[in-house]
Amino acid sequence: MSGSLDGGSTSLLGRVRDRLEGPNTIGDSPAFWVGFAVAVAALAVYPFTTDPYTIIQSSRYLALSFLALSLCFIWGYAGVLSFGQVAFFGIAAYAFGIIGINLSSTVGVGVAIVGAVLAGTLSAALLGYFMFYGGVRETYVTIMTLVVALVLNTFMAQTAGSEWAVGAAQLGGFNGMTDIPSLTLGVGETALVLEGVGLYYALLVALVASYLGLRVLVNGQFGMTMVAVREDEARTTTFGYDVPFVKLVVFTIGGALAAVGGVFYASWGNYIDPSVFGIAFAALPVVWVSVGGRESLLGAIGATLAIERMRTGLSSGIGPIGSEWALVIVGGLLLGVILFLPAGVVPRLADLTDELREKRSERSQSTAATEEPTE
Amino acid sequence: MIAATAAPLTFSAYSLIALLFQFLNSFGFIVLATVGLAIIFGMMGVINLAHGEFILIGVYGTALPFHAGVPLPVAMIGGVVAATVFGVLVERTIVNRFYDRLLDSMVATWGLALVVSQLLLIVFGSSLDSISAPMGSVAYGPFSSSIYRSVFLPLVAVAVLVGLYALFTRTEFGIKARATIEDPETARAMGIDTDRMYTVTFAIGSALAGLTGALYAPALGSITPNRGSTFLVEAFVAVVVGGPSVIVGTLSAAGVLSVFNATGSFLFGTFIGQMLLLLVAIVALRALPNGISGYLDDWQQRRRAEE
Amino acid sequence: MSTPQDINVRQKPAVAATGGATSTVLATKRLTKNFGGLTAVDSVDFSVEEGEVRCLIGPNGAGKSTLLELITGQLSPSGGDIYFDGTDLTDMDTHNRIDTGISVKFQSPHVYENLSVEENLQVPLQRTDRDTAQVLAETLDRIALADKRGEPASDLSHGEKQRLEIGMAVTLDPTLMLLDEPVAGMSVDETADIASLIRSLHDDGMTFLVVEHDMDFVRQISDRVTVLNQGEIFREGPIEEIEADEDVRRIYLGENA
Repeated sequence: MSGSLDGGSTSLLGRVRDRLEGPNTIGDSPAFWVGFAVAVAALAVYPFTTDPYTIIQSSRYLALSFLALSLCFIWGYAGVLSFGQVAFFGIAAYAFGIIGINLSSTVGVGVAIVGAVLAGTLSAALLGYFMFYGGVRETYVTIMTLVVALVLNTFMAQTAGSEWAVGAAQLGGFNGMTDIPSLTLGVGETALVLEGVGLYYALLVALVASYLGLRVLVNGQFGMTMVAVREDEARTTTFGYDVPFVKLVVFTIGGALAAVGGVFYASWGNYIDPSVFGIAFAALPVVWVSVGGRESLLGAIGATLAIERMRTGLSSGIGPIGSEWALVIVGGLLLGVILFLPAGVVPRLADLTDELREKRSERSQSTAATEEPTE
Repeated sequence: MIAATAAPLTFSAYSLIALLFQFLNSFGFIVLATVGLAIIFGMMGVINLAHGEFILIGVYGTALPFHAGVPLPVAMIGGVVAATVFGVLVERTIVNRFYDRLLDSMVATWGLALVVSQLLLIVFGSSLDSISAPMGSVAYGPFSSSIYRSVFLPLVAVAVLVGLYALFTRTEFGIKARATIEDPETARAMGIDTDRMYTVTFAIGSALAGLTGALYAPALGSITPNRGSTFLVEAFVAVVVGGPSVIVGTLSAAGVLSVFNATGSFLFGTFIGQMLLLLVAIVALRALPNGISGYLDDWQQRRRAEE
Repeated sequence: MSTPQDINVRQKPAVAATGGATSTVLATKRLTKNFGGLTAVDSVDFSVEEGEVRCLIGPNGAGKSTLLELITGQLSPSGGDIYFDGTDLTDMDTHNRIDTGISVKFQSPHVYENLSVEENLQVPLQRTDRDTAQVLAETLDRIALADKRGEPASDLSHGEKQRLEIGMAVTLDPTLMLLDEPVAGMSVDETADIASLIRSLHDDGMTFLVVEHDMDFVRQISDRVTVLNQGEIFREGPIEEIEADEDVRRIYLGENA
C-alpha cells in the first residue's frame, strides 16, 4: 500500500512486489525474496534427493499447511481465534470422499473437488453467520468452533453401521471412510493421477500460490480492514465498516483454505476418519500457528513442516523417546511459546533482525557524526 | 451417557417417569460438568480449556485410591483434593500471566490439557478398571434407572448451586468476589487483594471440577484419559447458552439443555440428544448472544425502566 | 422532516461560514434512553443547523455522552426518533449511519496503536472514493503530523493521538462531525491547536456538535451552546447568554459543591 503512495515502481517486477509487500507481512526485503526462492527451489528438488516414503510423508505436511494458513489468516490478521478449523478441513475431506466414491470417474473427481471445497466453505459461512451476526463475545467464538468439531467427531464415530452410507460411500464410523479417489488432472484416459511425486508437486504449487495470494490480500485494502477490526472493533464500526460482515468474509475464506487442505488430505491417504474432528488434531493448527507466529503466514507453514516432521520422527522411533511423547512435546511447546514467546518464532526473529540492523546503522551514523566536524 | 433401553414410541406412565429420570440424569451431569468452568469464566473471564483434564484428575484421584482399597467416599475426597492442589499450582504458574490476554489464556490452558491427558495415558495406561455405581437402580415397567445417576447426582448438583449462592451472597468472600468481578480497579482501591481473589476463585473452580470427577468416577464406565472432552463439550455449550452469570446461567442452561437432551435421547437415542445440544447452542449464539442470564439481565433492566 | 419548534431561545444566525439561510442537519424528536431505573436522556427535542459549531455542555451525568452514542447508534433509544439530513436514522446500524455523512470521535483516544499514523488515516480513507495520496497529505498537514507519518500511533503523545483521531474522522469528509470532549486532559497549547483545527474545518463548511466541559475551549470554537441537565435540555443560546445565566451557574455549582 505504501508503495503506491511513494509513487511505486514502474517495472513489472516492481509492481508485483508492490502488491505482495506491505505493513502486514514480514519479509519485504530483496534478501527475503531470494531466500524464499531458494526455499521453494529446495522443496522442488527435494523429491530427487529422497525416498518415495519420505515424499509421501512430506506431501502430508504440505496438505496440513493449508490448515495452518487458514488459522493464521483469521486469527493473526482479523483476531478471530478458531479452535475448530479442523471441522471445515474434515467436512471437505468427507465430502470429497462421498462425491468422489459415488462419481467414480476423472470428471467425478473434479466435481468432488469443487463440491468438497464448497461444502467446507459454506459450513464456515453458516457457522460464521450465527456467531458474528449475533455479536457474541470472542471467547464464545473460540469455544463454539471447538464444540462443532468435537460434536462432528462424536457424530462420525457412530456411523459404523451399513445404514450410514451416502450412495456407494460408507461413512465407516470409527474406522473411517476408505477407497477415496486420488486427485486427477485432466479428463478421461489422458488424465494424470496425482499420487506420490505428482501429488507432492501439485501441493507445492497450490501452497505457494495460496501463500502469495494471501500476501496480496493482507497487504491490500482488505488486509487493512482486517487489521483494523483486529485492533479495535468498535472504532472500526464508527468509520462505517460493517464489522460482522468483514469477520464473516474472513471466516469464510479461512474455511475455504481449510477445505482445500482437507481435499488434499483425503486424496493423499485415500482415507479419512473421525479423528480429524478430534481434540488432539484440532489442537495442532493452534500449535503450528502459535509457534510459527500468528501474524506470519510463512511462519505458520514453516512450523507446520517442522512440527509434523518431528511427530513423524517420533512415531517411527527416531530419537530416545517413544511416539506417545509426541503430544506431550506438542502441548509443552504450545504452553512454552505462549508463555515466553507470545508473538511466535518468526516475528521474534524479524524483530531481532530489525534491532540488529538499527544498531548497525546507528553505529555507522554515530561514526559519521564524529567524522563530520573534521570535514 | 444415558442408560436408556430401546425407545418405545407408545407413551405410558412408565415412559414419562423414564423421561423424567433421563432429564434429571442429564441435568445433574450438565450442572456438575459446567459449574467449575462457569465460576472461573464468570468471575475472571478466563475459559479453562483444561477443565476436562481437571475433572479427569478428580476421576483418577478417586479411582486410584479406590482400587488400592480405600472406601469410595474417602477416595472421592482424594479426587477433590488432587484437583484443587493442581488448580492452585496452575493458577500461580500459568493462568495468572494471562488475565489481560483472554484468548491467549485459552491457548495456554489447551497446551496444558494436551500434556496432562497424554501424561495420564503414559503413566496409567489406556484405561483404569471401572468402578460400579453405588446405590443400585430402580426398575419400573420395562425401564430401570440408576438411583446414583438419576437421583443422587442431580440432588448434589442442586446442593452445589445452593451452596455457591450462599457463598456469593452471604459471606464476606462472596461480597469481595462480586466487587472484584464488577470492577477490579475499584476493588483494589478498596483494599481487596484481587490477585488473591483470583487464586481462591480458581481454586474453588478446580475443587468443583475435582468434585465432578470424583462423583462421576463410579458412573463413567471405563476410565480413559480422553474422557475429559465428554465433559468439556457439555460445559462449553452450557456456558454459551447460560451466559456469564454463574448460578443463574448454569441453572437455566442446564434446565433448557436437559429438556432437549433428555427428550432427544429418549426418543431417538443419546446421539440425537447430543446433536440437539449443538443445535440449541448455535441458535442461541444468534438469538441470545449473552446467553440466557444476559438476556434476563436486559429484560430486568427494561422492566425497571418501564416502571 | 419537521424540526422541533419549542426550544426556548430561537437562533440568531450561527457562525456559519456558509452564511445566509440555515437548514437543520440533525434533529432528535422526544429522544429517550433509560438505563435500568435511570433516565439518562429524557424526551429530548434537539437540532443542529448546517454550518454551525454547536457545543453541548452540562454537569456530569447530564446525558451528553449518552445523547452522542444514541446519535451514532452505539446505544439504541428507549423511545423517540433521530433524523439526519432528512433520513430517519433510528433503526439504522452504526456503520450505515456513518455512510450518511456523520463522523465521530469519542472521548478517550481510540487510534490503532500498532499501525502507523499514515495507516491509521488509511483505514477510514480507503472506504471513500477520494484521492488517497492527496487527502492523506492534506490531512497530515492539517493535523500537523506530517513528520510522524511513518511512526506507530503508540509512540504519539496524548494530544497528538487526539489530533490523529480527529484527522481520521475528517478523512471521511462528513457533513456532521461529533466530538466528545476533544480536549480532555490536554495542555493549553494543545487545546489551542485543536480549537484552530476545528475552526479551519468549520471554515470549509463542516458542521460540528461538540460535547465539552472546558468553557474556555467552548468560547474559542462556538457561540451557540446547549445546556443539558438531568437528561433534559435546560437552556440553549449564545455563549454569552449561557455564561451569564444564573440558573446554569447554579446547576454547575450544585454539581461541584
